[in-house]
Amino acid sequence: MTPDPLSAKFQALADPTRRAILARLALGETSVSELAEPFAMSMPAVSKHLKVLENAGMITRGRDAQWRPCRIEPGALKEVDDWLEQYRLLWEERFDRLDAYLKQLQAAERSTLSKLPKKKQARATSRKGKRPGSN
Amino acid sequence: MQPTFSLDLAQDPNAIIGTRIFDAPRALVFSAWTEPRHFAQWWGPNGFTTTTSKFEFLPGGEWRFVMHGPDGRDYKNRVVFDEVVPPERIAYRHSGEDETESIRFKTVVTFEELGGKTKLTMHAVFPSAEARDYVIREHGADKGQIETLTRLAEYVARLAQDANS
Repeated sequence: MTPDPLSAKFQALADPTRRAILARLALGETSVSELAEPFAMSMPAVSKHLKVLENAGMITRGRDAQWRPCRIEPGALKEVDDWLEQYRLLWEERFDRLDAYLKQLQAAERSTLSKLPKKKQARATSRKGKRPGSN
Repeated sequence: MQPTFSLDLAQDPNAIIGTRIFDAPRALVFSAWTEPRHFAQWWGPNGFTTTTSKFEFLPGGEWRFVMHGPDGRDYKNRVVFDEVVPPERIAYRHSGEDETESIRFKTVVTFEELGGKTKLTMHAVFPSAEARDYVIREHGADKGQIETLTRLAEYVARLAQDANS
């Protein structure tokens, strides 16, 4: 099952070696052998990572037979960055609403408790925390 | 306005991690995930209402719902619960017309008791074509080359900036 383009980018990024490759390419284009140098890794292994990055649209490779430089695609990174910010905002707002809702529930609980006669209040408070999940 | 929530992509290359502390006991925070009438109060964006047609809060169970936007548009959603372990853990996959969550990953939500408060952690795991284990040791990549950053967003923005300079 081929992932959608954005999922492919995340899969490409889900590897520390590939992230390190991208970090190096951000400083400028370079050859495969130069990229392989810092890693205790064979050229085929590095090439495999480059293939993943290329298929995900994160890098492009030059066509020159003698010299196939690898180049980063800044547009691809921007797409990931934009998506991450959307995602972060989605959860931030969701959690803000959950926070407000929990406060509402707790206030309602306190208000209900305060209306009970004193003995029942004491018993209800001592049971707090052992109460099952649903209302 | 200061963000109340940030994403961490450095900790685990296979996942996006975010945490938030709620000033409420764990049982209550967990209960807000257990019934559609609770979910409807906070799951959708501001201005949206939710109608649930199906809700099975158990492993393999489905939650089918429609979110009604303030502009009159309806968005069909489907959540499949992979794991349900009250009151500590929920794992699910979400598919729907909401663009933001169209990426197919599995989200694991954990609830930790912190002295009357609750630490909620969401862990969105990317499906990975290769082994999911953190293989930095095997690959021998120099850790110093992989800067530890709290947000991939900052990391990619920096990479993009360097690429453009």
